[in-house]
Amino acid sequence: MVTPELEIPPSMTPAEYSRREGLRARKPYLASKFDAIAAMEERGEISPIIRLEKSYLCNFECTHCSAEYYMDRHLKKVFKIKDTRRKMDLDDIRELSRQADELGLARFVITGGEPLVMKDFDAVVEAIDPEKHYVITDTNGWFLDSKRAKHLKDIGVEKVQLSWDSFIEEEHDAFRNKPGSYKRIMRAIDASLDAGLNLMFQTVLVKGRVKTQEFLDMCKFATDRHVGLYVSYAKPTGSCSDHPEFVIDKEEADILRELEKEYNVFTHMTPSYGSFKGCITVKGIITVTSSFEVTPCPYIDFSLGNLRETPLKEVLARGMRNPWLGPYRPDCLIGEDQKFIKIHTERTKGVTHLPVPWGQGFSDADSLCD
Amino acid sequence: MEHEPAVSVFPLFDEHGRCIPSSGLAAAVHRKTRRYFSIVQPEISYGDIYARTRKFLGISGGMSAEAFEQRAEAILQNLRSDSATKGIADGVRIPFLLPKVAYADYGEALESTYLKAVHESFDDKLPQYGFINHHKDGLAGKLSIAPGSRHERLVDAMQQDQVVGYYFPCLSEYSVPAAIEQISSMPERFLLAGGFDTCAALIAAPDLLLRTDGYPPLLWLAALSGEKDQVGYHFESYGYNLTFNRRVHFNQVAEYWASGLVVLG
Repeated sequence: MVTPELEIPPSMTPAEYSRREGLRARKPYLASKFDAIAAMEERGEISPIIRLEKSYLCNFECTHCSAEYYMDRHLKKVFKIKDTRRKMDLDDIRELSRQADELGLARFVITGGEPLVMKDFDAVVEAIDPEKHYVITDTNGWFLDSKRAKHLKDIGVEKVQLSWDSFIEEEHDAFRNKPGSYKRIMRAIDASLDAGLNLMFQTVLVKGRVKTQEFLDMCKFATDRHVGLYVSYAKPTGSCSDHPEFVIDKEEADILRELEKEYNVFTHMTPSYGSFKGCITVKGIITVTSSFEVTPCPYIDFSLGNLRETPLKEVLARGMRNPWLGPYRPDCLIGEDQKFIKIHTERTKGVTHLPVPWGQGFSDADSLCD
Repeated sequence: MEHEPAVSVFPLFDEHGRCIPSSGLAAAVHRKTRRYFSIVQPEISYGDIYARTRKFLGISGGMSAEAFEQRAEAILQNLRSDSATKGIADGVRIPFLLPKVAYADYGEALESTYLKAVHESFDDKLPQYGFINHHKDGLAGKLSIAPGSRHERLVDAMQQDQVVGYYFPCLSEYSVPAAIEQISSMPERFLLAGGFDTCAALIAAPDLLLRTDGYPPLLWLAALSGEKDQVGYHFESYGYNLTFNRRVHFNQVAEYWASGLVVLG
């Protein structure tokens, strides 16, 4: 019997198509939701990944952490206060999963903090429902040994996004303020691939790094291992607020775009699966904080609404009608647009409980020129 | 081509050459702009543009390089002589040349002749970068001239003779419907840019959307209606590369979106 040759849609690369078909065999409902995304975009509907920040607990103290200002340790150390806002629970996650499914959304990323220190990690995965949503976890790799990787796969996690800040061991450990963390990365890579998890590296690009041999070496390593290297620009938020010198410029963003031709490297603006979103704020990603606020990007500390007060559908609509966020822009709003960066810095300065609520950061009265 | 006498009183363009949205515009437009997405005027050499266009569009015979320059310059002079329109001549502007030709299918011609010529011109001038047509589903039978765009005048002119014109990407932060609507309040000499003219401008200046210090806007082919309502086709840069693509614009306005005006000479 001759197996018919499957036709790869022109919008997908062979690797993207292969991953999609592999998912279809295991989780057909989920694959059908992915198939529907192109048609949704044609109708003006969006399909953002939902980043879930249920807990900010972390075993690291990284120099560039975007979540540091949300952490209990920061509030205690800097403001001498405790965050008493009501926190997200498993019922909240189930309801969010239901609303997201209703809107055709298909992807959740469990993030933090370090997700793999969460005692209720498995319960969170179950509440999301891995049959309905593609479940991804961020991790610094510290706890990701072979046994844990296999367990993640068993409970329905599909993908691991491994944070890795330098191809040079000493630099990575220094950036992460955690000796031994580089070696744990190496272990986590093998553990994830052996367990059949889809693996992605994520690294932060600080000014100057794109021109270094170290960065090229990381690009080459990722490409040789057939693992995608997701590059996030350093943003002037969180711990990086004290390091404006980390923020890259247009020249470096363009150098990275050229590297995409040669290496398996990409940013949040890189087209994928035939989708050309540009800056993915709202269109491609939202973050749900532990207090159930929704921000349009992990690095923008302005809320689009609280999901206990406002349905997800309306929160997304607020984002899409905001002139800063929608409908389409090619650059990184919080990483490159100096006017927005200034507004963001001013409105978040001294705020103890992030994100800044809807109406005080973003609002329907926003204008690009005022 | 004859132009109507200058009767306008109010300037139609600001000091940067942006077309000022007419007060009665109903479709979505940004009345104010911070000029975050902008194009830097490329260097213009009429001789180079003449040679480049003839080479990549396969034009032979017809007007001389001198005649091309004279006709193109006359367009600018005419615009500068009118207080209402002189502002556009201070903005980004690209002279272009189009062949004498008639096509049965706009989309097929755009794909097989004009996008190919843009690609070749880009590769010739910027061999280290690339032109990518992301739209893989073909254009044959998919494009028509948007009613009210006046773009049919350019197509008619091409059937009569070689065409000289100036392309101005001055409808920045207009939705596609607003760009079409704006035309109705403009003097008759202004046409909305479509596919052939925008391609001709990019053949003339392949680096039009190449910026190293900031981001240029996306350029809609606003005078062309796509195969579905609210579908449009456009050029945009990706880093130092030039791309062609399709998207649904939903009649929205975006800071990143621009369309072009054309004046023939």
